[in-house]
Amino acid sequence: MDMANEEARWVSQASEGDAAAFRRLVDAHASALFRVCARITGDKALAEDAVQEAFLNAYRHLRDFDGRAAFSTWLHRIAVNAALEQMRRRNRNETELPEGDEADDFFSASVEDAPGPDRHARSAEIRRDIETELKRMSTIERTAFVLRHHEGQSLEEISAVLSLSTNASKQAIFRAVRKLRAALEPVG
Amino acid sequence: MNTISDDDLILFHYRDGLDANRIVEIEDALFASADLRERYVAIEQALALADTLPTPVPDADFNARLWRQLEPHLFANKAPARRPSWRDSLHALHAWLSPPRLAFAAACVLALAVGIGFYAGRQSAPVPALAQSSADAAAVRVLDAYVAEHLRATEGVLLTASNSDSADLLNGNRELAASLVESNRLYALAATRAGNTALADFLRQLEPVLISLANPSQSAPVQPSEGLRDYLRSTDLLFQVRAAQARLDRGGERRT
Repeated sequence: MDMANEEARWVSQASEGDAAAFRRLVDAHASALFRVCARITGDKALAEDAVQEAFLNAYRHLRDFDGRAAFSTWLHRIAVNAALEQMRRRNRNETELPEGDEADDFFSASVEDAPGPDRHARSAEIRRDIETELKRMSTIERTAFVLRHHEGQSLEEISAVLSLSTNASKQAIFRAVRKLRAALEPVG
Repeated sequence: MNTISDDDLILFHYRDGLDANRIVEIEDALFASADLRERYVAIEQALALADTLPTPVPDADFNARLWRQLEPHLFANKAPARRPSWRDSLHALHAWLSPPRLAFAAACVLALAVGIGFYAGRQSAPVPALAQSSADAAAVRVLDAYVAEHLRATEGVLLTASNSDSADLLNGNRELAASLVESNRLYALAATRAGNTALADFLRQLEPVLISLANPSQSAPVQPSEGLRDYLRSTDLLFQVRAAQARLDRGGERRT
């Protein structure tokens, strides 16, 4: 039985209340959902909350999943919305993002994890600039960029997830790239 | 003259949002122009920067921890039953009622609850306090649910007005905005009567925006598209609409 069929079976069993089947779905998709949620929120704790919420929502609506899209696509979409909801709950302005001085901040943590400054001083500096620019992006800009650049989603898919017109999604990506380019300017 | 913008080059990089002819045009132009190639390389470098950040990876215990948190919520009531939620019922009702009638219905429910309270207060016999508070809570829940739906519709109108370039869509949007003006007033009134002044004030703040969208020719603080986008950005209105909607949804879920 191939993976897609096996997954379809798990979905069907989980929708009938089979805990083991739902656990398999969680194990199969948790890391990918964490990845996209962490990139959107820039915060590991928020990303974990978003993933948990996404699975809860998915469970509640399992019977609504009609199989027209892949289960991973359906779940991914729920997770993106859960990540956006987490950002809203932080009661932040769209232009503000989680501050980088918290210990569990994903972007900051990644700087600290970078190799030492002797060999990589320049790249660490650039990386810090990128993180600053990512934080300057609005939630919508960063989400659109993450979905296009890291998740490889089409503009059409991004527009559907974010409830934006295709043109608005394009503009969000353009603004995000412009901000990213600013990270190059001081050192370029 | 080079008519290929940096935005075109970004779309070209992703091979998305451009038709096949435009892609060929850009390929040819890149081949012919060193200047354009230089601009494209700069964009590719910027995009490559995003890949230098490490991929977020959950810690080793994440799946187990996630499952421990999920499990108690998932199977406490076995499998989810396929019955319509209150939200589904609300959608059905919403489809049947137009926005002003919907607002009128909500206001009536609230007025009925207030009326029951008033009538009960006039009786000499002891009022069943539980029944009265239950009626009040039900009225507030109904109002919250209706206002949340109203805010969802308002959010849709704002998003369409600020993002859409289609004349047909904008015309339909104007009609929808016009239909929301009256219901917005009724909800503001109902919220005042229910003692929720914060919600009432917020709804009153929405009214001029809805009026402007319903009557774009009038001189108003908001004009569609660019002007509206700037206005939404500067006032944070869209965020506030979503936040109010989420608060009402959460309030409804807590009371349910």
